[in-house]
Amino acid sequence: MSGPKWRAAEDLFREFQALGRASLLCDIQDSHSGNMAVRRTGDRGQDEIVVTATGSQKGDLEPGQICFLSATETDFGYYKASSETDIHARVLALPGVRASMHAHVKDLVVATLDDAPKPAKPPDFVPVDPLAWRHLGGVIPVDWFAVPSGSPELARTIPERLAAHPLTVIYGHGAVAKGRSLREAFFRLCVGNYAGAVVRAMERLRVDVGAVRREVAADPGRALAAPPAPYAVEGDERSDFREEEEILREFVKAGHRIFESRLSPFHTGSMSVRGVDTMLYAPKASMPRDVGGPLLGLPLAADPADDAESAVHKAIYAASDFQSVMHCHVAEAEAAARFVYPGETAPAGRIVPIDAEGSFFYLVIPVLPPDTPAAELIRALHEYKVAVVRGGGVWAVGTQSLSEALHRPSSLREICLYRIGAVERGLDLRRMEPRQAGRW
Amino acid sequence: MPDFPIPGYHGRVLVADLSAGEVRTEPLAPEAALDYLGGRGLAIRILYDTIDPACDPLGPDNAFVIASSPLVGTAAPTAGRGHMAFKSPLTGVLGTSNSGGTWGAVFKSSGFDALVVKGASPTPVLIDIEAGRAEIRPADGLWGLTTHETNDSLAAVSEPGRPARVLCIGPAGENLVRFAAVANDRDRVYGRSGPGAVWGSKKLKAVRVRGREKTAVADRERFRAGLDQALYLMKQAPATKRLLRDLGTAGLVELINLIAMLPHRNFQDCAHRDEDVERVSGETLAKTLLEKAGSCHLCPIGCQRHTRVAGRGGGEERGEGPEYETIVLMGPLCGIYDLEAITRANYRANELGLDTMSYGGTVACAMELRERGLIGDEAAAGLDLRFGDAAALEALVPLTARREGLGAALAEGAARLAGGFGRPDLAMTVKKLEIPAYDPRASFPQALGYMTSPTGACHLRGGYAVSLAFFGGAREIPRFSLLQSPIAIRNMQNLGILQDSLGVCRFTGYAFSTDPWARMIGGVTGRDFSSARLEEIGNRVAALERLFNLEAGATAADDALPGRFAEVPIVVEGKERRVSREDQERMRRDYYKVRGWDAEGRPTAGLLRALRIGGRRR
Repeated sequence: MSGPKWRAAEDLFREFQALGRASLLCDIQDSHSGNMAVRRTGDRGQDEIVVTATGSQKGDLEPGQICFLSATETDFGYYKASSETDIHARVLALPGVRASMHAHVKDLVVATLDDAPKPAKPPDFVPVDPLAWRHLGGVIPVDWFAVPSGSPELARTIPERLAAHPLTVIYGHGAVAKGRSLREAFFRLCVGNYAGAVVRAMERLRVDVGAVRREVAADPGRALAAPPAPYAVEGDERSDFREEEEILREFVKAGHRIFESRLSPFHTGSMSVRGVDTMLYAPKASMPRDVGGPLLGLPLAADPADDAESAVHKAIYAASDFQSVMHCHVAEAEAAARFVYPGETAPAGRIVPIDAEGSFFYLVIPVLPPDTPAAELIRALHEYKVAVVRGGGVWAVGTQSLSEALHRPSSLREICLYRIGAVERGLDLRRMEPRQAGRW
Repeated sequence: MPDFPIPGYHGRVLVADLSAGEVRTEPLAPEAALDYLGGRGLAIRILYDTIDPACDPLGPDNAFVIASSPLVGTAAPTAGRGHMAFKSPLTGVLGTSNSGGTWGAVFKSSGFDALVVKGASPTPVLIDIEAGRAEIRPADGLWGLTTHETNDSLAAVSEPGRPARVLCIGPAGENLVRFAAVANDRDRVYGRSGPGAVWGSKKLKAVRVRGREKTAVADRERFRAGLDQALYLMKQAPATKRLLRDLGTAGLVELINLIAMLPHRNFQDCAHRDEDVERVSGETLAKTLLEKAGSCHLCPIGCQRHTRVAGRGGGEERGEGPEYETIVLMGPLCGIYDLEAITRANYRANELGLDTMSYGGTVACAMELRERGLIGDEAAAGLDLRFGDAAALEALVPLTARREGLGAALAEGAARLAGGFGRPDLAMTVKKLEIPAYDPRASFPQALGYMTSPTGACHLRGGYAVSLAFFGGAREIPRFSLLQSPIAIRNMQNLGILQDSLGVCRFTGYAFSTDPWARMIGGVTGRDFSSARLEEIGNRVAALERLFNLEAGATAADDALPGRFAEVPIVVEGKERRVSREDQERMRRDYYKVRGWDAEGRPTAGLLRALRIGGRRR
């Protein structure tokens, strides 16, 4: 890095670098696409926008590819900055917004494509998963633009949409999210892409997405499990168990894997390891490299002030000998939990592996209703070690280690991918499932 | 005997009272079967109901119980093991030992689920069991014979399809060596805690079994689901697929050295020259001594080492072993890297009926006493007996088995040996049981496992944390986490209880945990044996074993490592590691808590009620 400005902004640069890399890893950019921006107070107290340079490789950002612009007037850096700087500047002017990010969230974009003649307003996207409902709302706006990149239309419409929504979709192009921090904007893009991935996986499984949408829209509290906690922009650096070096490493490793293997979108899910009186708890389990999350030491005893997520971890430990608990949002599993066998009317209560390794690890994996009480979830975990809650993600446990719990959603994702692939190819799952599965 | 209501069991317990010279068949209580499964669980339940834990372990009031499991006699992989429980003459607390081979499977086919032997005979006897019947017979002609001679003599009645299998003791058991073993199929052994001395005190030389009874399976499809899963996973895991077949347990030698856990010179350090370790490695054994691998009943792993070695007096000897524990405890722990000498000492120990682990630990203790000048020339009686003296290692085996010369002191085990020379701190034991071949300073869970093992320092009863560090795959756990160790080792102990209670090999744990077993046991019995229920059985057996020990006089103070491990560090990955007394205290306190025991390590009344343990059933 060179120049006094860079020395002053090293932390910010690292954050851009890390989130840029992360966005490539979760496949929401191409090599040069996307851009991100934050608004901050500069070294001399000036109102400043920091934005990625146009065409820069977000996976490998260099110091010179981050531009510092006046938020109030055009300066030289404008010509190097992203072609969508105008959009960012207007988004960043919205009350409470400190960051905005644009990415090619392909799963979400594909899920919003239609073949109606344009120009026309495409339908808005209605998610069917708990994360998007909670964090993005019941409707995600979608707009078609004649010039869908860097155009004045975009600069006018996107901020309007983001005034009312956390994220908006540019038809056939990508999405823009706002945030109180760059991480929150990235989080929203990841959650949006996940919402698209869930719908896409359902479509591939021939699930009647319209029916599921109607069910969710009619009563999200019934069709989805308890909502996840709001996204917290503070406290990511907190680490209550620095002295437990090995466990810390395990958490970091598991966090990377969850994120990179798409077992849960950025900063979603949770994981814990129990001690005797304490639970080491990561409430943002999906953590890319160089982007951490809080690592908390919580009393194991239940507390009325516990949020719903940590309360489930505690309940599992209180009723079992398990050493570790993990909760992930695996898009393919969320979709598989809505799968209806041909000739039947209700979603299946189990996922039966059809692949060799999956079927040896798990003869079946239970799918529980969204309102499953903790006691019932724990019973299922005792028996199967992993369970899918329809509209509520995947819960898994380990008897010895965190990595044991991690293996379960990872294995489940593969199991679901094989099933999805078989249905796509027109194969009859019933005929592929082990004959005995009905009895397990 | 009416039909037993639970498939997988015969519903019969054979009770031999050697004082009265009588045998009788008693019904197995169905609730005991369901609550304790079989093997280790059933054995401790029956033992607890049979004896006063405060009894003299070498007196007629002690008893031993060998129990089989509902999986034995089915196609479940490795399900042919038996588990023996008794009060240990070495430790004064619970003694349990587990053995493979084929005796356990044949015993089950003889029509019994468990054998209880109590009392003591005035003259040598053997118990002959066949087809639901048994008799006590004189064994005068066998007394004094080695285990091989005894086995070969009694097994000669074998017929095609109806083999006779023999458990027996050698001279070490007859001479009440406190760590005498019971031999099984010649070279398999019930080794730890001195069961051979208990047999010797009862003048019981052997138990021969024959039989053809089948084990019923209630739900073959469910059983098959678990079986297929288990076999598949065993074919996948490197340890069960290749390592143990190619190198035997000796394959661990280099691995354990690699992670600075291979003990040296009576646990004074873990510093070896790599070329020395290579001389006693599994690879070297495979290249130089191995004739073929072998397997226990229904075992696809095949870790047995059938070896040959040059005899001391010329010629060639053949036998089984050495295993990892034997190599390290008779070898590097004594500063010895002579694989042939270790192998010969192993052969002699098997023939004479000694536990090679306790023997190695005791010799290492003697060597340190010698180097510190506490064992003088006169006591050493011509042996150099310093670290590295392979000749002494070999020479002391028969002396110990026959309690001759210095061997009489060694026959008491390391704790009494060191105490006798005024340096009890030089005995590397927990509850007087010699520590296995994994230095506890290199793994906190293993340290806690030794501390809390119901039988004293045992890597199998205490929880085999080592496997997690090297072969555990997804179950790998941190080695130095005070926070995670108590629960990790509790869960490992419970898994071990389950495996021992199912009559299966611990090595299956390298490939899978409880799930396939839950399906198989559910399939055999037709009952719901969910993982939660198996977890509960683990906790129940652990609590009952603890009760036994408390009644035998053990206290929380006994759950501690020798001072050396708190005071003298070893270097692991560049860091000095020890298990300080404070760390031991914290782990012990937390362990009691996760077990539901009070601060003194006593299972609470509430826990006993919740686990339906109840009082002694006589």
